[in-house]
Amino acid sequence: MEWDWAFVREIMPTLLDGLKITVLATVLGSVLAAVVGLAFALLRRSPNRLVSRTTAFLVEFIRGTPLLVQLYFLFYVLPGAGILLSPLTAGVIGLGVHYATYMAEVFRAGIDNTPRGQWEAAKACNLTAVQTWQHIILPQAIPPMIPALANYFVAMFKETPLLSAITVVELMSQARSIANFNYRYLEPMTLVGVLFLAISLIAVPALHLLERRFRRYR
Amino acid sequence: MTEPIIDPIINVDHVTKSYGSFTVLKDLCFSVMPGEKLALIGPSGSGKTTILRTLMTLERIDSGFVRVDGDYLFHMERNGRVVPADEAHLHRMRAKIGMVFQLFNLFPHKTVLENVTLAPMLTKGVRAAEAQRRAMELLEMVGMAGKANSMPAALSGGQKQRVAIARALALQPRIMLFDEVTSALDPELVEEVLNVMRMLGTQTDMTMLLVTHEMSFAHDFADRVLFFDRGRIVEEGPPGEIFTNPRHERTQTFLKKIIAAGQRI
Ligand SMILES: Nc1ncnc2c1ncn2[C@@H]1O[C@H](COP(=O)(O)OP(=O)(O)OP(=O)(O)O)[C@@H](O)[C@H]1O
Ligand SMILES: [Mg+2]
Repeated sequence: MEWDWAFVREIMPTLLDGLKITVLATVLGSVLAAVVGLAFALLRRSPNRLVSRTTAFLVEFIRGTPLLVQLYFLFYVLPGAGILLSPLTAGVIGLGVHYATYMAEVFRAGIDNTPRGQWEAAKACNLTAVQTWQHIILPQAIPPMIPALANYFVAMFKETPLLSAITVVELMSQARSIANFNYRYLEPMTLVGVLFLAISLIAVPALHLLERRFRRYR
Repeated sequence: MTEPIIDPIINVDHVTKSYGSFTVLKDLCFSVMPGEKLALIGPSGSGKTTILRTLMTLERIDSGFVRVDGDYLFHMERNGRVVPADEAHLHRMRAKIGMVFQLFNLFPHKTVLENVTLAPMLTKGVRAAEAQRRAMELLEMVGMAGKANSMPAALSGGQKQRVAIARALALQPRIMLFDEVTSALDPELVEEVLNVMRMLGTQTDMTMLLVTHEMSFAHDFADRVLFFDRGRIVEEGPPGEIFTNPRHERTQTFLKKIIAAGQRI
């Protein structure tokens, strides 16, 4: 089997279109995962036992079931209940909420690591609970979490091919249709691997840079 | 003409508090007059920190009443009945009280200046420029204006504690609580913090409660000394009496130990 550069040039634009969707799904999914993950972490700390227990159960449930099943559920089952989502929307929600359950754990650990004295100083300064979270706890808790969160961002990125199962036209599904159409797998699949690797290699140091920027006070 | 009757600014009324089966504060009663400088001394574990933390609402009490500036601290009156305080009431009451901690508890992600401006801006809606002007005055007063833009991690313990004092003062509390504010400091840094406290003692009419193991400082600074032992006040009086002529045997033993450990009183 010979490597065909002409074929590479021909399929590259289509693959890059797919890559755009992959990156878009990852970015939107990451934002959703971070926000929902933080919400899960805060709700689990709620003094209301019903709220904290329900959240804990929901988190366990989502984490304990496969992402692929959740995607099928969002895209193929929900329409039966009258909820119609576009493939990308269903994909982003599926990825985001699934990974939120992992990120919640990271947030929980980070929040628990904030010294008790910080809560007490905030109270002595008469800050409200919301002000304490916003100005004292989260700004200290989040920077040390960035490496762990970054790992999940990269893991999410590598899981996006699952979205092809619900007809999202991302990188992997573009590559597969090119391959099926031309009966050539070598170039499309190699390029998919290379593109994924390239983005991961850029993203990891970028996130570490971000971490150092946030941690200026150390 | 009769003397005007001045009400105490703090009234602790039969307060009891336990951690599990261990009773830290036992049916504690005392009052503090406005502007009074009170030193709380006593052996380790006697409940001194706990009473300050209680006044700051960092701890709850099991029974009894605390009144601050005429209002209940942990209770409030609603429809003529006394009910447990809600968060809004606690928030209102906390505005009257400031606290300085043994381990400073500065906000490490904020500059020195931001540490001092944050609470006035958030809790009193003071504009940034005004908050900064006030903060610089306070930092000037504690000798820390030159470090306004430093991060806390770059400061010595004594410097951190002086910033922490400025941070507490920024909210203009009527009552300030100091819990062993020099205990975590290297010996050569103790004096710079005590000097700030002395200045506050003479130049303000704030009510100050301090827990300290610095007996000579307590002697010079306080109007009145409370000697705590096992969750109770065993003896109280002006420093001249407590330190030179303690009546209770436990106070005598405590002071003897302090002197044996090399402190001057
Ligand atoms: N959160 C807690 N849980 C259980 N016990 C506690 C707790 N906080 C304090 N205690 C106990 O309560 C007692 C009184 O503590 P407190 O800190 O008020 O003493 P203190 O007079 O300030 O002593 P020191 O001079 O050592 O600071 C101690 O025996 C302490 O171990
Ligand atoms: Mg103590």
